[in-house]
Amino acid sequence: MKTLHFKVGLFAATTLLFGAIFVLYILYARGFFEDTYRLQLAASTADGVAPGVPLVFSGIEIGRVSTLGLNDNGGIVIHAELLARNAKWLKENSTFTLDKPIVGGAKIRIDSPDLKAPALPENSTMLLLTSDVTKEIPILVERVKAILANVEHLTRKDGEVNGTLANLETMTGRMTGEYGMLEGILGSPEKARGVTDSLDKTRALITKLDSLALKMDGMAAKADTWLFAPDGVALQTRDALAQVKLMLADAQSSLKKADALMTNAVAISADVKEGTQDFAALRTEIDDAVRKANALVNEINKKWPFARDPEVKLP
Amino acid sequence: MNFLVASIESLGAKVTGWFTVGYDIFAFLFRSLLLSLDRATWNRATYDVVIKQVYFTAVQILPVFLGYALVISWLIITIILTTARDFGLTAFASEMTIRVLVLELLPFLTALFIALRSGSAINTEVALMKVNNELDALAHCKVPPMQFEFLPRLIGGVISVITLAGLAGLLALLLSYLSIYGLSMAGFDAFTQILAKVFNFKILFGLITKCALFGLAVTLIPITAGLETPKKLFMVPVSVLRGMMRVFFAIVAIEVVSLALKYI
Repeated sequence: MKTLHFKVGLFAATTLLFGAIFVLYILYARGFFEDTYRLQLAASTADGVAPGVPLVFSGIEIGRVSTLGLNDNGGIVIHAELLARNAKWLKENSTFTLDKPIVGGAKIRIDSPDLKAPALPENSTMLLLTSDVTKEIPILVERVKAILANVEHLTRKDGEVNGTLANLETMTGRMTGEYGMLEGILGSPEKARGVTDSLDKTRALITKLDSLALKMDGMAAKADTWLFAPDGVALQTRDALAQVKLMLADAQSSLKKADALMTNAVAISADVKEGTQDFAALRTEIDDAVRKANALVNEINKKWPFARDPEVKLP
Repeated sequence: MNFLVASIESLGAKVTGWFTVGYDIFAFLFRSLLLSLDRATWNRATYDVVIKQVYFTAVQILPVFLGYALVISWLIITIILTTARDFGLTAFASEMTIRVLVLELLPFLTALFIALRSGSAINTEVALMKVNNELDALAHCKVPPMQFEFLPRLIGGVISVITLAGLAGLLALLLSYLSIYGLSMAGFDAFTQILAKVFNFKILFGLITKCALFGLAVTLIPITAGLETPKKLFMVPVSVLRGMMRVFFAIVAIEVVSLALKYI
């Protein structure tokens, strides 16, 4: 009988103790032992706000809307209550946003960007912003629809994207050929070979023109001795020499042109886009330059018949 | 035509029967309440019987009951948490756990537990006493059965259901905190906030009232069912059967009414 009484007494005491602790804890949780902090929120509409809507800071509920009503100017005033221990999260620069998610009830989100800012005094009135997702959905859907239609148009079977991709594929295919990039841009190995050949020939031509200029130097030296000879060649050849001067100027300009063409040719390989456009012009100019150079050499040959290799080969 | 009359007659008999049963139950409850308000009732002997009843109904089964509550709570908490995580509704999981387990399921299961264990025993015992004329004998010996047999059982039942449901609820709260936040105090503030939201004083009062009514139902109905047993031994099982059916309906009715009051 004694142990029975002891057991029942222990049971009752433990249960009562737990019950009392729980009730005290609930009293603490509901803020029975501390002050209530009040706050007013001004809003343009009370849509979605009702007594009991939670105030949430960083995802944790810290208070609730107690009542709401109209002020003298017809604006909405929402009264919210927080426990004093939670009021420390409210700062003067805090923002209050009404969140109405698609799932779950409405809540007032509090954002305090600077927790070192001065605390919000009690009973102050703050502005309640609204971010209503449900209102934005139709607009969003319209815009997404338009974007999707565009994407669909671009990716249709004979669409631009597909065409571009096909072109790109042929181009990269050509690029893997013998002449690489050049073939890719010009379209076929034959054309690419034409360009490289032209470049080779231009190089040869420049070397020839170089040696020609050296020869001209030598001739000028010989002419000097002739010129100052006592038998008066200078006098006889004065007109002829004036002509040669003109021809030399012409040759110089031709050389300059060839030089510019060379630069252009280098630019072709660098800036292929312009190169393809200039390719025809380049070809004619090279031809022209070579023709002129040939004419010059022939002319000189006529005047100076001791020249050995007068021919400049056309590419 | 005779068939119709007969069926109406049988329906009328049934309704009258229900009314009689209901009247008997409430009349018995009223008498026991009156008796419990009488100062002369509360002597040393009555206390002893009440303590004995609490011991047999609550203390004796405590380890088994708490183990059972632990397993059920753990299972349900895990299910709710997993589902909530799958649907991205973790924010509502702890509130859901408290509402489902502490407010509804655990008190209900406690009442069922005590009804099956003690209610059926009380029903059989009272029916046997009635059949064997023991109740009359007790009354004859100046040991009024109401004071020494029935009232202590009612009080023991009420105390047992309230305390057991409370302990199981506290255990479930602890378990749900551990399941959500683990062994750390990190979630204490958030959990406190949720508890404050769920347990206002109306809810707390309603919970205790509900448990008290459960406790009454699982003892009062078996006692009255036992008392109305005809004095034939073979009627004892029938009496237990009827009594347990009534207990079951009463428990469900109390639960339904409490839910309706809370959420409608």
